[in-house]
Amino acid sequence: MPVTVSPDTFTYVSFEAATIQRIADELVGALGLQDRIVTIAVDETSPLARTDMQIVDGAIAIRAASGAFEDTRKPRQQSETITATALGRVLLRASDRLDGGFGEAPPDEELSLAQVAAWETYCIGRLERLGVHVNRQRWLYNFRNRHGFTDAGDVAFDALWSSPGLTWAQLCAISESALANRAPAATSAPAQP
Amino acid sequence: MRKFLPVDDLARDERFAAITMKERFADQRTALNIDGAAQDKPRTKFRLTPERRDASDGARGLMHGIFVGEIQALEGAGRTCFDFETAGVAKTGTAATESSDMDVPFALKLDMARQCWDEARHVEISVKLSDWMGTEIGQYAENTVLFAAACSNDPVLRLAGVNRALEGLAIDVFTTMKEFGDLAGDPYLEFCEDWMLADEVTHVRMGSDWLRKVTEHDPERRKKALDFQGVVDKLFSYGGTRSDSDESPIGLARRFRSLAGFTDDEVEAINEVSIQALDERKARIAGARAAADHAPAG
Repeated sequence: MPVTVSPDTFTYVSFEAATIQRIADELVGALGLQDRIVTIAVDETSPLARTDMQIVDGAIAIRAASGAFEDTRKPRQQSETITATALGRVLLRASDRLDGGFGEAPPDEELSLAQVAAWETYCIGRLERLGVHVNRQRWLYNFRNRHGFTDAGDVAFDALWSSPGLTWAQLCAISESALANRAPAATSAPAQP
Repeated sequence: MRKFLPVDDLARDERFAAITMKERFADQRTALNIDGAAQDKPRTKFRLTPERRDASDGARGLMHGIFVGEIQALEGAGRTCFDFETAGVAKTGTAATESSDMDVPFALKLDMARQCWDEARHVEISVKLSDWMGTEIGQYAENTVLFAAACSNDPVLRLAGVNRALEGLAIDVFTTMKEFGDLAGDPYLEFCEDWMLADEVTHVRMGSDWLRKVTEHDPERRKKALDFQGVVDKLFSYGGTRSDSDESPIGLARRFRSLAGFTDDEVEAINEVSIQALDERKARIAGARAAADHAPAG
């Protein structure tokens, strides 16, 4: 089932809907989600790099701000690698929720920042093994910001990154093992909208 | 060697991609609340803190901005050493010691040379921090507006533009990043930003001191320099990137600016110009979008 992308044409950015669709189709195939309805709505008026995902009756609806697909070297131009990374992350999360083991995971908007970072680490590690180019150090830094700059945190990162299959409970246990060793000075405030 | 190098001739290898202010102005996207009718709608907070969902990516982007800013500050200070004759010293190829308003004291050049040393060290620190944060050199577009502020033919205007406006911005940026590192528990980021911040305070003080000394008997030139600083401050506040408002990613570092010699009135003036830049950006984007909505379909 082909992925649907909107809008068809872009005015605020120089993106191609066909490129987004091609990348998404490849990822959907690689992740075994071909039988799912997948829609991608791009908010081209926002430069943020945010992606949100909802699953309604088994269909995957992705909303992405234009910064999520943007080439940071060339503002308003699309980067295929960055697009693949952004879509791969969100499609893997959808796959986790749909294919079992993550049934008790809270809705995305209720996840803590540490849980988001742990889940992203698990997704990006798998994405790298699928052949998408990623910068491991970037995601290690993201994980450290949420779990502390400690040896225990790095061990937890490696466990999440290299794991081929986790449940939500296992993912949370790894995340919490890192948080238990976090220095007390670090913040634990809730996420801003 | 060529004097007064134009901004387009800066040496960069293929890893770097430049973006001009014109290109930035052409970007009509924003995540700010620009709906004037919805004044009761809560403002979106963009201050760079660990609570932001995109905190680590925001910090990486800002760190890369610091990196290219340090390169340009190095180039600017180096150019000020080289572009102007030294007061009281025979001009190249002549025996005369004719003086010009554009000549600069040897001690000023010595300060600029010291600044070059600092900025070169900052570039190296920034590269290492970028590695640590998972950013590649050139991963973000480079805006060369910082060096453009260092292209004036008057050394006093350069001091105002570079040492007071640019280095003043650096104080704001380093303070934001230092606080980010502290809150996130990143020991390297917090430590490195603190040390670089100390240098920036010194650079601003050097600029303030030389501006005062060189224009001691020339109030008109001093006014011109301060006016130029105001223009540069507004450019550096592009779209409200830096202000007291929590809609700005970077805050105004009032305490460290005070240590650097800025008066409270001067800091307040920068805040006002920054808020003005923020409001202007909102109005410009709202206007452009309204015009696009009313344009005939083609």
